[in-house]
Amino acid sequence: MSVAIDRSTPSVGAVGVLRRAVLSDVGARIASYLLLLLLWQLVALYEDRFPGPAEVFGFLWVEVTAGSHGGIVRGEFLEHFAATLPRFALGIAISMALGVVVGVVIGASRFAEALLKDTLLVLVALPAIIWAFLTQMWLGLGDDAVVITTFLSAFPFAAVNVVQGVQAIPRDLGRMSDAFSVSAYRRLRHLQVPAITGYIFAGLRFAVIIGWNAVLLAEWFSASEGVGWRSRYWYDANRYKGFVAWVIIFILFIVLLDRLILVRLQRRAFRWRDAQASEIEREAVEVDVGVTGA
Amino acid sequence: MATLRVEHLNKTFPAIERRSKPTVAVDDLSFEVDGHVFVSVVGPSGCGKSTLLNVVSGIDTPTSGSVTVSEDGRPARLGYVFQDPRLLPWRTVLQNMLYVLDDRGDAAREQAMRYLSMVGLEDAGDRFPAQLSGGMQQRVGIARAFCVEPDLLLMDEPFSHLDAITARGLREQLQEIWVATQKTVLFVTHDVMEAVQLSDRIVVLAPGGRLYADIPIDLPRPRRASDTDVATAQAEILGRFETMQEEVAAARAEDGLAAAS
Repeated sequence: MSVAIDRSTPSVGAVGVLRRAVLSDVGARIASYLLLLLLWQLVALYEDRFPGPAEVFGFLWVEVTAGSHGGIVRGEFLEHFAATLPRFALGIAISMALGVVVGVVIGASRFAEALLKDTLLVLVALPAIIWAFLTQMWLGLGDDAVVITTFLSAFPFAAVNVVQGVQAIPRDLGRMSDAFSVSAYRRLRHLQVPAITGYIFAGLRFAVIIGWNAVLLAEWFSASEGVGWRSRYWYDANRYKGFVAWVIIFILFIVLLDRLILVRLQRRAFRWRDAQASEIEREAVEVDVGVTGA
Repeated sequence: MATLRVEHLNKTFPAIERRSKPTVAVDDLSFEVDGHVFVSVVGPSGCGKSTLLNVVSGIDTPTSGSVTVSEDGRPARLGYVFQDPRLLPWRTVLQNMLYVLDDRGDAAREQAMRYLSMVGLEDAGDRFPAQLSGGMQQRVGIARAFCVEPDLLLMDEPFSHLDAITARGLREQLQEIWVATQKTVLFVTHDVMEAVQLSDRIVVLAPGGRLYADIPIDLPRPRRASDTDVATAQAEILGRFETMQEEVAAARAEDGLAAAS
């Protein structure tokens, strides 16, 4: 459901159509990507060590599709993702589980807050590369170092957000529940959990972005396969277009994960807040529902 | 219907700082409310109205004296309407109603819908509070309080945050529901006009939490703000209220002079 609002002066014919297309949100977004590509191409023209977009996307295509080229086996894209994703997912899962537990404890108890809050803030400030180095020193090559780096980097962000959520549970609603003698279970389910859900989502988005950064760094130092390792492989081989191609893959992955899954989940969880639509929009939504229901 | 008995109630809040004096919020207050009556507690701010309501609802404990609410000897069920709606923003209107009911079955749902339609919101059950106006949200709060079928309904300045026109509409609606449902109501307000229009009886508190007057209002219902009888009673009781404030101001001035000399 979207209502296009045309703020441009009305103009007729093909020029008007073109002008409106460029001035729309989608047009502006496409234009920004084109501009970036153009800048990239310009830099590549004047700097030999900087591969241009055509080169990089060509390499990317070969890396993604199966086949061999010049004796080097490529098309290992899927295999490396298959190695990285379980490490990433495990690291994030542990971060979220512990983040919720620690966040609730710190948020609910003044003593725990005094004891642990500063430690948590120090952890938030530590860059992932510190953990990547330390785990490599402690654990050597292997999955453990990667998973633990991901966890140590993402966990504090999850916990800090949950702490905020617990501390933001509205006291007035607690007093209302007292006045109506609502049971503890019902309070947990309908008051406390929904109140912190938004903060858990915010924590998850942070954890995913920080954790993705961490998994790549850890693989750079401590893995023998995986997307972080693969980008280092091309870097060490002085194939800069290979390295940049993998950088593109990292960015695409995190943007798609965030836009397609996390933002949608978050919007779903916040339906109650976004429901503050105007009367007209609300009617329109009801009409929409009626049409699909028929 | 319930019996509310307030006997020699005292509530003193301890001094916050070492040098300041403890605050007396309610001072030896006694009154009784019994049966299908609408009783308002009126007084200037700082006269212990909210403290009284908190003690009655059990949120606060008395320093001395006692408050008992009973219904045929058993402890009474209470309903509460707050100054602000206090709805769960992430639950729909109907879910908010079910939140305070003991069971979740079809009977509870029907009961919730019945009270929603009494406040004219039978079509809003699936909406979120944010989709409703302030007045509609407060109506949900009222429906929620009636929905638990309380023996005693406590209302804490429920219309004070609404605009005058919305508040007037809701007062009339509240009277209708009250007449239809036979509840004992304890209604706290600082608005004398509102108290006269709604109540069978007005308990006036003076600053310091003492009982100043207990005035019966014997007017036929339904009462409209525009009725001549209502307007006359409003003017008379507002006059008594102003006399009280003058007395209090005079007493304060005397105290001040005594302290100065």
